Amino acid sequence: MPEKPGDLVQGTLDMLILKTLALQPMHGYGVAVRLEQMSQGVFRPNAGSLFVAFQRLQRAGLIKSEWKATENSRRAKYYALTDQGRKRLTSEKREWGKQVAAIARILEAS
Amino acid sequence: MLFLPAIFGGLRSLFRKKRVEKELDDELRGFLDMAAEDKMKQGMSRKEALRSARLERGSLEVSREVVRSSSWESIIETSWQDLRFAARMLRKSPGFASVAILTLALGIGANTAIFSVVQGVLLAPLPYHEPDRLVVVLLNNLRLKSSTYLSYRDFMDWERAAPPFEKMSAYAWRSFDLSSPGNPEHLEGTEISSSFLSTLGVGMALGREFSADEDRNGGAPVAIISNGLWRDRFGGSATAIGNSIVLDGVETTVVGVLHPGFRFGTDYPDVYIPIGQRKLVDANDRIAHDVACVARLKPGVSLSQADAQMNAIQENIDRLNPDTEQGLGIKILPAKEPLVGDVRGTLLLLLGAVGVVLLIACANVANLLLARSAARAREFSIRAALGAGRGRIVRQLITESVLLSVLGGVLGLAAAKWGLSVALATLAADLPRGDNIHLNASVLFFALGISIVVGILFGLAPALRSSKTDLQPSLKEGGRGSTGRHHRTQSALVVVQIALTLVLLAGAGLLFRTIQHLWKADLGFESQHVLTFQVGLSPSAVKTGADVRAAYQQLLDRIRQIPGIQGAEITTEVPMTHQMNAIPFWVDSRRPASVAEAPRTLGFITGPDFLQVMHIPLIRGRFINQQDTASSPLVAVIDTELARTYFPDKDPLGRTITFPQVGDYRIIGVVGHVQHWQVGFSSPFTQNQSYVSIYQIQDRWMTTIDTWTWVVLRTPLETSMVLPEIRKAVHAAGSDQTVYHAQTMPEIVSESMSPQRFPLIVLGSFATLALLLASIGIYAVISYSVTQRVHEIGIRLALGAEKRDVFRMVVGQGLTLAFTGLSIGITAALILTRLLLSFSSLLYGVGASDPATLASVSAVLIGVAIVACYLPARRAMRVDPIVALRYE
Repeated sequence: MPEKPGDLVQGTLDMLILKTLALQPMHGYGVAVRLEQMSQGVFRPNAGSLFVAFQRLQRAGLIKSEWKATENSRRAKYYALTDQGRKRLTSEKREWGKQVAAIARILEAS
Repeated sequence: MLFLPAIFGGLRSLFRKKRVEKELDDELRGFLDMAAEDKMKQGMSRKEALRSARLERGSLEVSREVVRSSSWESIIETSWQDLRFAARMLRKSPGFASVAILTLALGIGANTAIFSVVQGVLLAPLPYHEPDRLVVVLLNNLRLKSSTYLSYRDFMDWERAAPPFEKMSAYAWRSFDLSSPGNPEHLEGTEISSSFLSTLGVGMALGREFSADEDRNGGAPVAIISNGLWRDRFGGSATAIGNSIVLDGVETTVVGVLHPGFRFGTDYPDVYIPIGQRKLVDANDRIAHDVACVARLKPGVSLSQADAQMNAIQENIDRLNPDTEQGLGIKILPAKEPLVGDVRGTLLLLLGAVGVVLLIACANVANLLLARSAARAREFSIRAALGAGRGRIVRQLITESVLLSVLGGVLGLAAAKWGLSVALATLAADLPRGDNIHLNASVLFFALGISIVVGILFGLAPALRSSKTDLQPSLKEGGRGSTGRHHRTQSALVVVQIALTLVLLAGAGLLFRTIQHLWKADLGFESQHVLTFQVGLSPSAVKTGADVRAAYQQLLDRIRQIPGIQGAEITTEVPMTHQMNAIPFWVDSRRPASVAEAPRTLGFITGPDFLQVMHIPLIRGRFINQQDTASSPLVAVIDTELARTYFPDKDPLGRTITFPQVGDYRIIGVVGHVQHWQVGFSSPFTQNQSYVSIYQIQDRWMTTIDTWTWVVLRTPLETSMVLPEIRKAVHAAGSDQTVYHAQTMPEIVSESMSPQRFPLIVLGSFATLALLLASIGIYAVISYSVTQRVHEIGIRLALGAEKRDVFRMVVGQGLTLAFTGLSIGITAALILTRLLLSFSSLLYGVGASDPATLASVSAVLIGVAIVACYLPARRAMRVDPIVALRYE
């Protein structure tokens, strides 16, 4: 286990955000809650790293954003995947699967 | 990948900063509010929920900073802040800023100046159409292992043999006496083939090139003139085309005018005439190699391919003309190479030297920055305590140093412009393509680049040093910082400066000693009181060989009558003027199979008084005299060099020496060898010398001899006093006769030392500059250390130390640095000067590790160091112990 719960492997936050947004467009807090739920409380990203990641992904053209009203009728910026983002998610998932399998093989080798 | 959105996103936040920031704030606030709402749903009070959300997710302010600083545009933004702050800091300490900027301006200026010389001479392309395809084609004498020009016959043979060039052309030096329109004047000119200008790809300002019809024997007399001559003689009027000028007595029609500044080679000829019209005796001569060939490679054909094809062509010519051409091959060079000559090594050496000057300047500024950063230690500590990271402080300091160096660079550029104009006014003649040296775009780019690099170079060490400042002690100590460490770095920098300065001084010193030795070298003649000049004989008076002899006899008689003239004679060769009348010869009628394989000798065609005028010693036999005339047997005199080489243990007197096309001569005397090439250096050209009488030369050579004949005369009088008298005497013999190329022999000797003189002057000024900078460096360090040690000195004085001891202590500290620098510098100089010796032949009469030179430059450095320590030492002596101790 990582020393502090919630420390992400470098670069994986981007992939997880893409995965979260693949279901539907979401605002920042929604993404945070979703990540927490899906990881059963292991990942609790703080606002700083989350929004740095949004900025990075948006400038790379992988996500787009739009101000919209929330269900509680406040205004929030909603992020959605672009086609490019969808492609990237697929390729990252494949790569991740390969790496995890490889690491598992190494760790299990006696 | 996908740079554009990243860049646009960045630009958007830069230019619409307020709006973007507000958007981010809104988003973050919404995020925290939603987090708080969730917590309130679990039963927390609003205040508690907000606090808890901030703790868990990070506060608005911190998150905002994290997001903002993660993007590239924030770097630009903070850089702009840094720059404004740096400018404020410099304004606040104008003394420091001006010294630093001035030092850098000197360093960068000197570098920019030398770079623009290297750029103009070595790097810039030749000013012709596609100059990379231009080549010079030479004959390669396989036996003598030297390359020479060719004969006009060779050129015609090549043209007929379909050479592998797009275009090929011939040109040959020739001078003229212009007698109309305007005053008679001697002009430099060139014979060119009709293809010459189109080979170079150069257009005409006015008129046309020569036609093929004009470029042959019997063609109409036509000329192309330089832009300068056109303005001078025709007032720049278009009616010049079709008008005539009188060249060597021949009415010649002007058909074209060249663009201003056009030339090919090192000087600016004023008149061009078709080479095909040369006299048949010259046009058919296969032995004299006086024609140069420039050609343009076909696109896609390499130099070596052309070389191979031309060698095949020449082989065939060799076979057809075995008695003159056997043993001749071809050598093709890029056209730039012969034009630039052998200054490449010298210029690169100077570029290295000026780089060292820049390093010294950098060390100086780094020292100033270190001294200043010690004073600013408190500022850095406070900034660090307030949360500035080390990288941030380093960036701030580098911004300051780059600002300094760029300001220095701007000032340096102005200095370079001024320095170049001064230097070129005195030195341009020593450099090929000297008029091609400008401050152009690539020089500006170089200056800017070097400024930024230098700013980082000298800023980095102090920045890293200061940013490491330990917070606690420097805040506690009240700003005095960790002085010991700073001081060590400063001392190291000064040691490096002194070492580098010594290397430069040693280089300049060696060149200085070389020039001293060259002046003392035995030239084989006495240059003092000898004056040389040329005379353009009136074309009307010299129709036959007998006329020319008579004209010279008459001229000499008149000159010898001028009071104060101790002797006068004519000669075709003046030592050290780079004239090369190298003629083939053989002894005892043993003719080699091909003339090309015969050895060469410098042929002096002269009169009987030559030895007496030049003070050349007669070793054996006799010199030519009045009795050797056209009707008496041919006689020649050889020098000791030829005697030693070809008559090693036999008596040369009475033996026969043969000059092809001229005749068999009986050797009647041996004279001392004369330094004909550069003083003191072995030359690739022939060293053998021989003398024949101008009164025994056949008529057919005599009518063309005057363009290469000189008058030498010996007089103790000043040139300015004699020359008007000489002009009078020459005009009395013919009013259209001109006197030109007047120069004293010492001037000629001095000019022949330009390969040493040019680097000496430049290196000498660099060494002086380095010495100045190094002395400022020593002064700054010692002076700083005295300021830091006022307290200590006060205690010493209070405890009874003598003022003398304090003085000695301070000067001793400076000298320790100086001696450390010296020992490193001498080691480096010993290695570097050896390198200098190996790649260029600059030194004469002095070894690369000449102890006298090293000792004297070391003494100079020590002297300067003592002077630089004197002021701070005196200040230390005057420290009042009471005041110093109260200071705490």
